Amino acid sequence: MKGVELGVSIAGVRLPNPVLPASGTYEIDEPHDGFFSAGELGALVNKTIFREPRAGNPPPRIWETPSGMLNAIGIPSKGLAWFLSEELPRLRRLGPPVIASIAGNDLAEFAEVAGAVGESELADLLELDLSCPNLRDGIPWATNPDRLREVLAAVRQATRLPLIAKLSPNVRSVADMAAVAEASGAAAVSLVNTYQGMAIDLGTRRPALGNLTGGLSGPAIRPLAVYAVYSSYSRIRIPIIGMGGIAVWQDAVEFLLAGATAVAVGTQNFVNPLAMREVIQGIRGYLERTGMGSVRELTGLAHGNNSTP
Amino acid sequence: MPSRPPSALHRDARLLASREETPGYLELEMECPDIAGAAQPGQFLMLRAWPGSDPYLPRPFDILTADPARGRLELFLKVEGRGTELLRALAPGATLRLTGPLGRPILLEEPGLSSVALLVRGAGAAAVVHLAEQAAGRGLAVYAILSASTAARIVCRRHLEGPCRELLVATDDGSEGYAGPAGDLLDRLLDRQRAAGRPEDHPQVDRVYTCGSRRFARHVQDLDRRGLARGFVFLEGLMACGLGDCHGCAVPRADGQGYHLVCRDGPHFPAAEVKLP
Repeated sequence: MKGVELGVSIAGVRLPNPVLPASGTYEIDEPHDGFFSAGELGALVNKTIFREPRAGNPPPRIWETPSGMLNAIGIPSKGLAWFLSEELPRLRRLGPPVIASIAGNDLAEFAEVAGAVGESELADLLELDLSCPNLRDGIPWATNPDRLREVLAAVRQATRLPLIAKLSPNVRSVADMAAVAEASGAAAVSLVNTYQGMAIDLGTRRPALGNLTGGLSGPAIRPLAVYAVYSSYSRIRIPIIGMGGIAVWQDAVEFLLAGATAVAVGTQNFVNPLAMREVIQGIRGYLERTGMGSVRELTGLAHGNNSTP
Repeated sequence: MPSRPPSALHRDARLLASREETPGYLELEMECPDIAGAAQPGQFLMLRAWPGSDPYLPRPFDILTADPARGRLELFLKVEGRGTELLRALAPGATLRLTGPLGRPILLEEPGLSSVALLVRGAGAAAVVHLAEQAAGRGLAVYAILSASTAARIVCRRHLEGPCRELLVATDDGSEGYAGPAGDLLDRLLDRQRAAGRPEDHPQVDRVYTCGSRRFARHVQDLDRRGLARGFVFLEGLMACGLGDCHGCAVPRADGQGYHLVCRDGPHFPAAEVKLP
């Protein structure tokens, strides 16, 4: 059988396939984690790093919901110095392109972290977490157009690395924010982060999560996330990394058809540690069965001639 | 960093038998040679055995027993939610998806280690059966104290009778054994051993493991603090993956420096290292 092309390009960086882990959902071990090799992935994405080490939120941190999960982990991490000296060099050696996921509590921190990662020359792309709903330090950057412009401008000045803006779905229009991100210098967008939500524990009669509110992920949000990708596709020219409830390859193809160039598997990695490998194989099989030469042909097909939702 | 246990495997298991000897408590016997061969005392696994995405997350369960020669695993669990209700409905022959073994093994190779005491309540007994078997197999003296609200809820006795030199029971309602706090029985056991002159010379080598009760965990933490025994507590936490990836199952460190993860750093901890809820 003639081989199919799984490679895609994000901001001039070639990914060997379009499947990557959503930040914070897959600890990338080397060289082989017992499940599959990190070298099989389209790109490597770390758990978001801030300048300082962070302990994370008080438990309970997760709560199961119908076909999904609320989380308020709080992005525990060992901080920038560790990331630069240990984690980035380790990821670099594994083969696939490295997408460094970073965040900052203020503009100066964001710029400092971005600059340091850029200077290390160990990352291919920079993903800006502008949308975590679980930070007490303030409202997410990507829920206000002015703040989104501001942070992208600050980071833009700090590094020449291509920027991926990971946007929040907790806005009136994700497409509007994607257009702002593009106009402010983002080379790609990740759509979407978790939806803000809440659960009450009937036992304690209190909010179930230690952080009170959390981010909803899993198959429960997939139709919402597909809509965010579909509606943004016709508004921007930069590539979209689609995510939100991808569990099996069919879900990934749905995001590609809606307009994504690549996809990220998140919470499903917890449910099935082989999920990303199975999604890659499933996309390959789908292309073979339908006689398509390249995964790139799928992107945006759902729009046909009528791209306005 | 690599944090994932090097032993973790993702495998299908075949259900061989499902027993509910005590109403509300399920014992599942399954065939899964790779995980049965790798499982060590103190470890657990994640299990999912239903189609679709609801319930979404796999469930963590203690490994009750592992028989590498026959390639078999047993799990013991309390039916208390949708996931466990679905497991109860499974018939022999069903396929279960397992990830494991997970968590840190309990190492028994320590020089001078001569005895282990187990203080467990309800289904918490399941966490220490494999440990009791392995410890007894190495010639250690194993003492178990089983506690429950009432005699009908004393579980895993059949599994513990064999390996344990002594097995004591305490019930809240006095329907069997000691009618009072099971911690009293542990205190007496430790006193008796001390009086026998043995562990007082080497109190550092005797260990107490507890599971299934916050009160017991505090009691063991207190014994540990007073130097009367080295205490270890099994903890639970809401977890999505069991692998250290989701960071869901955080428990506060005793030193105030952030959190341990139950799945990766536990599920059993030296009593002095955790801040109990």
